[in-house]
Amino acid sequence: MDRWWPDGTETGSRLWQGVLLIVATGSLLGIAQNALVQRGAPKEALAWRYTPPTLDVLPDAPADGVANGGTAPSSPSAPGTGGDMNDPLGLGGEGTGFDIPDVARPLQIQITRVKQFFDAKKATIIDARDPEEYAAGHIPGAINLPHDQVALDPDRLEKFDPQGKPIIVYCGGGTCEASMNLGFALVAAGKHKVLVFMGGWPEWVTKGYPVAKGPTPEGA
Amino acid sequence: MGVIRGFFAHPTVRRGAQLIAGAIFLAAALPKIADLSAFATSVHNFRLEPVIPIVATNLLAMTIPWTELVAGLALVAGVRPRAGALVYTILLGAFTIGVIAAMARGLSFECGCFGKASAGTVGAKKLMENLAMLAVGVVASVERR
Repeated sequence: MDRWWPDGTETGSRLWQGVLLIVATGSLLGIAQNALVQRGAPKEALAWRYTPPTLDVLPDAPADGVANGGTAPSSPSAPGTGGDMNDPLGLGGEGTGFDIPDVARPLQIQITRVKQFFDAKKATIIDARDPEEYAAGHIPGAINLPHDQVALDPDRLEKFDPQGKPIIVYCGGGTCEASMNLGFALVAAGKHKVLVFMGGWPEWVTKGYPVAKGPTPEGA
Repeated sequence: MGVIRGFFAHPTVRRGAQLIAGAIFLAAALPKIADLSAFATSVHNFRLEPVIPIVATNLLAMTIPWTELVAGLALVAGVRPRAGALVYTILLGAFTIGVIAAMARGLSFECGCFGKASAGTVGAKKLMENLAMLAVGVVASVERR
């Protein structure tokens, strides 16, 4: 082999040297990329220190629909607790069916469960995007509550009646601050069982789930 | 036994495994690099904080995809392929432990293993997938004689 690089014959310390080289190069490139992005568009880059999202994820219901055996279903923890990182929701064996913990903060919900709630009509779905985006396409049955309008008019939240069902908020995906903020606003307005669907509209469309078009009917 | 060993020690088989492993890592790295914050969320979903401090989540999200990329390139190009294969195997081993730990704690989320678009939920299927990819890595790491 006349090549200057080891082509698979490297062993021992030479091999680990290569491993180290790859990891170091990769790590440096990654940090450099993020630093460059940070200079250009600070919002899209990652901060050095990670701050966890304030929303915990609602676990998937078991596919067989049977309650998880084993773990004793600890009661939904008192609002505000949740320091246990292994079981942040205090859910224990819960998460079956359409029961969701009644905690004093929004929870993240993932698309598979959103679809379950949608199919069973067990949730009130809110579209937090602009009316234009809503009119161009939304989850059937979703109510349009644009987050920025709501911020100016808190009464709309107070009057909003989820009819005793859990509320699922979605927006345009990504970091989805709109639905996150609206989720917190709903909780602040005294609503219970507020779920934020972070994947939002893009994920819903990607999955090929049903969509509806058109603006909110007058008087709704 | 000799036949099996001979097969796995065969240069073509090893090189093939290296190419497959490299392609897998390139396919895994690029979508993550394109959306680092989505990957940071994925890393967070694994709830590694009992082992790795939570503030390190972003650092992992920055470094893992590029390390995958460099290892993938090394494997595909055949430059230090054994080192690349070892990085691949070690990383996949760590990912697999992460998947098992998540499953054991009943966590269920999109793993983000190949970025957000082609997500798969962490579970038995993901575990099988990982073990198969791990096997490719082991073959790719076989010493060249």
